[in-house]
Amino acid sequence: MDKFRMIFQFLQSNQESFMNGICGIMALASAQIYSAFDFNCPCLPGYNVAYSMGILLTPPLVLFLLGLVMNNNISMLAEEWKRPAGRRAKDPAVLRYMFCSMAQRALIAPVVWVAVTLLDGKCFLCAFCTAVPVATLGNGSLVPGLPAAELARLLARVPCPEIYDGNWLLAREVAVRYLRCISQALGWSFVLLTTLLAFVVRSVRPCFTQAAFLKSKYWSHYIDIERKLFDETCTEHAKAFAKVCIQQFFEAMNHDLELGHTHGVLATAAATPVEADRTEEEREKLRGITDQGTMNKLLTSWHKCKPPLRLGQEAPLMGNGWAGIEPRPPRKEVATYFSKV
Amino acid sequence: MDRFRMLFQNLQSSSESVMNGICLLLAAVTVKMYSSFDFNCPCLARYNALYGLGLLLTPSLALFLCGLLVNRQSVVMVEEWRRPAGHRKKDLGIIRYMCSSVLQRALAAPMVWILLALLDGKCFVCAFSNSVDPEKFLDFANMTPSQVQLFLAKVPCKEDEMVKDSPARKAVSRYLRCLSQAIGWSITLLLIVVAFLARCLRPCFDQTVFLQRRYWSNYVDLEQKLFDETCCEHARDFAHRCVLHFFASMQSELRALGLHRGGIPESQELPEPPEDLDGGSGKAHLRAISSREQVDHLLSTWYSSKPPLDLAASPKLWRPGLNHRASIAAPGTKLCHQVDV
Repeated sequence: MDKFRMIFQFLQSNQESFMNGICGIMALASAQIYSAFDFNCPCLPGYNVAYSMGILLTPPLVLFLLGLVMNNNISMLAEEWKRPAGRRAKDPAVLRYMFCSMAQRALIAPVVWVAVTLLDGKCFLCAFCTAVPVATLGNGSLVPGLPAAELARLLARVPCPEIYDGNWLLAREVAVRYLRCISQALGWSFVLLTTLLAFVVRSVRPCFTQAAFLKSKYWSHYIDIERKLFDETCTEHAKAFAKVCIQQFFEAMNHDLELGHTHGVLATAAATPVEADRTEEEREKLRGITDQGTMNKLLTSWHKCKPPLRLGQEAPLMGNGWAGIEPRPPRKEVATYFSKV
Repeated sequence: MDRFRMLFQNLQSSSESVMNGICLLLAAVTVKMYSSFDFNCPCLARYNALYGLGLLLTPSLALFLCGLLVNRQSVVMVEEWRRPAGHRKKDLGIIRYMCSSVLQRALAAPMVWILLALLDGKCFVCAFSNSVDPEKFLDFANMTPSQVQLFLAKVPCKEDEMVKDSPARKAVSRYLRCLSQAIGWSITLLLIVVAFLARCLRPCFDQTVFLQRRYWSNYVDLEQKLFDETCCEHARDFAHRCVLHFFASMQSELRALGLHRGGIPESQELPEPPEDLDGGSGKAHLRAISSREQVDHLLSTWYSSKPPLDLAASPKLWRPGLNHRASIAAPGTKLCHQVDV
C-alpha cells in the first residue's frame, strides 16, 4: 500500500509525469476502444469513403482534444497567456515550451489509433474497394460492358462477404488481400516515420538552445507548482475561516443564553487552555485575512498583479491602501568568492 | 485498515476530487450496465420507435438524476440559494458556479450511455428501421408498400423467419448502424470540442471573478461540513451528559426511597459527571447549549441568519435574533448567573 501511495504521489508530484501516466493509459485505451468498436462498412458506393475517412480521422481528433482537455496545464497556459503582466514579466519561451510539451503528449493516443487502424486494414478496404484495378486483378474483359454505376455498386460490396455478388467479375479474396497488403504497408511506414521523427527531435534538440530549454523547463514547472500550492493554501485558509466562523457563532449563541436566562445551570464560556490554543492555531492559519472583502482583493491581486520572482523583499501588495507597511530598502547581498590562487 | 482509512482521508481532502471520483465510478457503472443489458427489440411497426428511443433516453435521465442525488454539492447549492440573507449577503455568482459544476459532473454518465448506445447501433436500428427510404435499396422493388413496412419492422430481429438470411435486411441494418455510429462519433467530437474551448477560453473572460467564486463556493461547502461535524460533537456531548444525569438521578431516587436490595452498599456512589467530559479537549462553548429549545433555536438561527464573513468584527455586535435587548455586554465582561443547587 505504501509503495502504491509512493508511486501515486510521484506521478502526481509533477504535472508532466502525471500526464505521462495519463498518456500511457490513453494509448492503451485507444487500442482497446478500436478492438471493442464494431467496424461496420456501409457497402454503398457513396457512403464507403465518407464512413472510412470518418473512422480514420474523427477518433484521433477526439483523442487529441481529450488529451489536451485532461491536461490541467491547458488552462494554466491560457491563464499565463492572458494575465496582465503586473510585476512579473511574461516569457513567451515558457508558454511555447508548455504548449509543445502538452501537444507532444496528446499526440500519442491518436498516432496509436491511426497505426492500429491501418495495420488492421478494415478501414482502408472499405474506403478504397471501389478503386481496385479490376483489369489486372479480375476479369478485365468484362469491365467495358458494365456501366460505371453498376461497377461501383458491385465493388462497394467487397468488404461485406454476406452480400457480395460479384465473384464472376473479381474474386473477393483477391481484392481483400490486395487492399489489406497496401494498408499494412502504409501502416508500418507511418509507424516508422513517427518513431523516426520523435527520435530525431529528441536527439537533435540538445544541439540547439539547450540553455534556453533548461530555463523554460524550470519556469514552466515552477508555474505549475505555484498554482497548485496557491490552491492548497486557499483551501486551508477557507477551512480555518469556516472553523473560526462557526466557533464565533456558537460563542455568540452562548452569550445570548447567558444574557437571556437568569435561571438554570449554565457553564461559563471561559475557554479551557487547550481550546484557546486551538483557536489561536486556527487564527494563525488565517494569516490576517479575516473578511470577505480582503479575501476578494487578494484573489484579484493574484491574477492581475502576480508577485515578482524575487524573494526576500517585502513590498506592499495592495499598493497605496495597505496601511502600516513601508517598503524596506533592498538588502545588500554580498557574495564572497573564494578563488584558488 | 489504517492505511485504507488514510487513503480515504486523502481522497476526501478535496470535495472536488471526491466528486470526480464518484463521477468516474458512475460512468464505469453505466458501461457495465449497458453491456449486461439484454436489448430486445419488439419488431412491431409502432412499438419499435417507442422502445428504441425510450431505451436511449430513459436510462440517461435516470443516470442524470442519480448523478445529482449522489453529489452532496447539489444540496449545499439549493440551501445556499434558498436561505434568507440575514447577516450575510447572497452572491448569485457563487450559486451559478456551483450549479454548473454539479451539472457538468451529473451529465457525464448519461452522455456515456447515449454514446455507447449510438456506437453500438442496436437502439438506432430498432427505432428507425421503419423510417428508412426503400428506394435506396433495389431489393424492395418487387414488394408492395405494406409488405415493405412489415419487412422493415422486422429488420432488427435477425432470427425472425421472414427476414432470416435476407440480403435486404443485412443491407438496411448495415446502413442504419453506419448512420448511428456516424452520429455517435459526431456527438463525441462536438462535446469534446466544446469542453476544449471552454477550458481554453475561460481565462480570457473574468478570471478574477472566477477565482473568487471558486474560493467562496469551496468555503460554503467546507463550512456546511464543519457545522455538521460540530453539531454531531455537540449531540454526542449532550447525550453523554443526559445519560449520566439520568443514572445519577435514578440512584438518588432509589436512595431517597430507601430501596436497596442487598448488594448495593450505601457507601458506593456513582462518580459525578466530570466537569471536563472530553478529557482535556472540552469545547466549553458547546456545553452551554443544553436544552432542546436552545438547540432548536441555534439551528433555526443558523439557517435564517448566517453570521457575516468578517471574523474581526465583534460577534456581540451581530448577535442573531436578540435585537430587543437594551444593553449589549462589552466583550470580556464576566456575568453573574444564578446557579441552582
